[in-house]
Amino acid sequence: MNDWLSASFALFIFPGFGFLFVCALAFQWIDRRVAARLQGRIGPPWFQPLADFIKLMAKEDILPTGAHEWACAALPMVSLATVLTAALYIPVGGQAASAFEGDLIVVLFLLSIPALACFLAGWLSVGVYSVVGGNRSLLQYFSYEVPFLMALSGPAILSGSWSISRIAAQQAGATWMVFVQPLGFLLAIVGLIGKLKRSPFDIPKAKSEIVAGPLTEFSGRKLALWHLTLHIQTVVGLFLLVDVFLGGCSIGLAVPGVLVFTVKAVLILLALSVASVLYARLRIDQLANLGWRVLAPLALAQMLTTMWIGVR
Amino acid sequence: MTRITIPIGPQHPALKEPLSFLLTVEGERIVDSALRIGYVHRGIERICQNRNYVQNVHVVERICGICSHIHTTTYCQGVEALLGLQVPLRALYLRTLLGELERIHSHMLWLGVLAENIGFTTIFMYAWRDRETVLDIMEEFSGGRVAHAVNVIGGVRIDVDEAQVDSILARLDELEQQIEILLGVIQHERTFQARTRGVGHLSVEQVRRYCVVGPTARASGVNVDMRRDAPYAAYDWLDFRVITAEEGDVWARTMVRVLETIESLHMCRQLLAELPEGPLAVRAPRRVPPGEVVSRGEAPRGELVYYIRSDGSDSPARVKIRTPTLTTLITLPDQLRGVNTADVPAVLAGVDLCIACADR
Amino acid sequence: MNNETMNNERLESAMLVEAILQALRETFPAETVEAQAVPIGETFIALPADCIHPAVRLLIKRFDLRHLSTITGQDTGSAIELLYHFWDGGGLTLRTSLPREKPHIATLTDLIPGAAFYEREVSEMLGVTFDGLPDPRPLLLPDDWNGEAPLRQRPTAPTPGPSPNPSASLRTGSGGGEQKPPPQNWGGLRGGGEEETQ
Repeated sequence: MNDWLSASFALFIFPGFGFLFVCALAFQWIDRRVAARLQGRIGPPWFQPLADFIKLMAKEDILPTGAHEWACAALPMVSLATVLTAALYIPVGGQAASAFEGDLIVVLFLLSIPALACFLAGWLSVGVYSVVGGNRSLLQYFSYEVPFLMALSGPAILSGSWSISRIAAQQAGATWMVFVQPLGFLLAIVGLIGKLKRSPFDIPKAKSEIVAGPLTEFSGRKLALWHLTLHIQTVVGLFLLVDVFLGGCSIGLAVPGVLVFTVKAVLILLALSVASVLYARLRIDQLANLGWRVLAPLALAQMLTTMWIGVR
Repeated sequence: MTRITIPIGPQHPALKEPLSFLLTVEGERIVDSALRIGYVHRGIERICQNRNYVQNVHVVERICGICSHIHTTTYCQGVEALLGLQVPLRALYLRTLLGELERIHSHMLWLGVLAENIGFTTIFMYAWRDRETVLDIMEEFSGGRVAHAVNVIGGVRIDVDEAQVDSILARLDELEQQIEILLGVIQHERTFQARTRGVGHLSVEQVRRYCVVGPTARASGVNVDMRRDAPYAAYDWLDFRVITAEEGDVWARTMVRVLETIESLHMCRQLLAELPEGPLAVRAPRRVPPGEVVSRGEAPRGELVYYIRSDGSDSPARVKIRTPTLTTLITLPDQLRGVNTADVPAVLAGVDLCIACADR
Repeated sequence: MNNETMNNERLESAMLVEAILQALRETFPAETVEAQAVPIGETFIALPADCIHPAVRLLIKRFDLRHLSTITGQDTGSAIELLYHFWDGGGLTLRTSLPREKPHIATLTDLIPGAAFYEREVSEMLGVTFDGLPDPRPLLLPDDWNGEAPLRQRPTAPTPGPSPNPSASLRTGSGGGEQKPPPQNWGGLRGGGEEETQ
């Protein structure tokens, strides 16, 4: 019985769905507020993300004629399920809900599914803007994913383990990975911006070009779930980076682990917010250029250096 | 490769006014495009024939939101030429002042729209925040932020006093500092240049073939500006440069417009410093003797032409209006050929469309 | 910009107008070619309809006068008058008259492609046919327009045109007749509309 209770607690409250949901709303608010202040605006009040979610859930849910109804209904739920599953293996405050050797690979795989789901959503919700947006989503995936994977492999190789929990645990009391592999950290952040389709890589949902990209034809509850997926993916991505590069919840002070962990995640979020207001949106071919001519070679150099050091 | 047809408009986030494009796209490149306008055609020219000359001042003001003052200026000076009126100097200076303030406003609004279209929301927010300074000045002067109703046939209706002049000068100084910051960003920021350089190119030959006017023509090197070539209002007594560029792409048009904004600021200062004393308007008779007139002005988007024919009554027999956006619209299919779909909003914003003006 | 430069330019454009008048007189010896001064600083020259195209070709070839500001069309009651407004440092307008019954004139788009929009507008507003205009579709009027030319002078008892208040039919509930969707009148695209692929 206790097992069931603690498992349910971990799954639904902390560090499961409840905690992720609250974090998603809070991080979204911080992001919007910081970006607004940098642009000379005020920004939304603290309850805005929650209000947006509730509003969307209550709205009418229609799709154009010819769209695949059941597939378009299933895709946001599948997306959400994959990011929530990925969150199970990421330790928050020291303990992951589940951990095994190689869970880093599984998490990276699960976090790639939303990009594919976006493409399918664009394709199946029949609409010119959606199809173009879906195509761009896939093109963008190929541009940032390789540097991202290579950047995250560096700490794994140095730690000698492919389990996120062990990578995080090994940084307690030792130097954090960000100081050992600063280039990798930077590449991981750039990759994360691409993965989350944030400015300046918000090409698939370029508002002024293709209205809303793959999600143009979605509305109501399906759109609410898509947005929730995106925000939880933000949270999960940030937590992953904190565990792999910033030493999880370790710090040389007697502070609760969860607090430290969240503060570190918010610091990376601030970097992402600042990056989102500094640049114009890139074109897809410029992003592909950037990804393959700059990021991928850097990541490759980084990884080879790491492997050479690891071998020695 | 298969071709798909992408509609841009009549409702689209890249367009501020209804306009319809059908783009034929192969992959990410545009192969062909078809343009339709007329969604906001209100029949202004016919309406003008059914109203008297005084009412028409208000009708032509409502052709467009952001170039309303130049429309009334050009119309009024045409009717004043038919009537043989000598407009007082102070009125001419005030007309010019509002015309330049309107140019500043139009260019700053345009800069925000261009930035938003290429995804650079920060510049959009900054440009529109700074545009509020100009709007406040215009509201204090005329009572309206965009529809000023300052011109009457024979002069202007509203005056500025010493205190207002000082307050306007102070705010123009603030505005200049802000515009210098924006200019710095445009000149040096790499992503902005990556999205605007080489996009939407128009050669000098194309400009001349399509009779393009305004900053779009000046950005391709064609040196034409009605303020200098056909001086009206107080431009005869002002000292200003006409800004041109050579590259002919969206970036060149941006540079031309931002530098023109700074030049307009200098002109406003000159006008306020040299504002002559005198009456604001002369009385204008209601009936206009028979005759015809061609009146030209330089709107923020280029040469504005009015042809007015009177038949001796108090209502014009014909008012023909040619707005500058028509000349740039006709170049769009040429500009869009071979361009990336991602660059379409940049190209559309680069020519500064004012569809309400074009459709009348 | 001072008055002296202004006067010099006015002198230059006066000399240009003289040269143009001379050239036109040589080209059309049968016509009386006179300049009429019109405010503001404009010169009007009246020519017959079939002389307009050769005159414009002359202006382009010999004087490099290519900037056509606009084409005004007006119904003077007795004729349809077309005004071709040019600008080259000074305003020059060519005036011509067309009969009210089936007016037609050669297009200028082969010489000045920018004339296309102006000719389309005159064509739809006054019912003038421009021979050789490659794309004669209406520019501003809606697809379901009833065909009358809006800027023609109306007879004293105006015939009912399209309903001025389209929502009136909504109020009665029965509708003002079948509203068929406007035709897809795109033109200019070769096969693009049909080949919508996924």
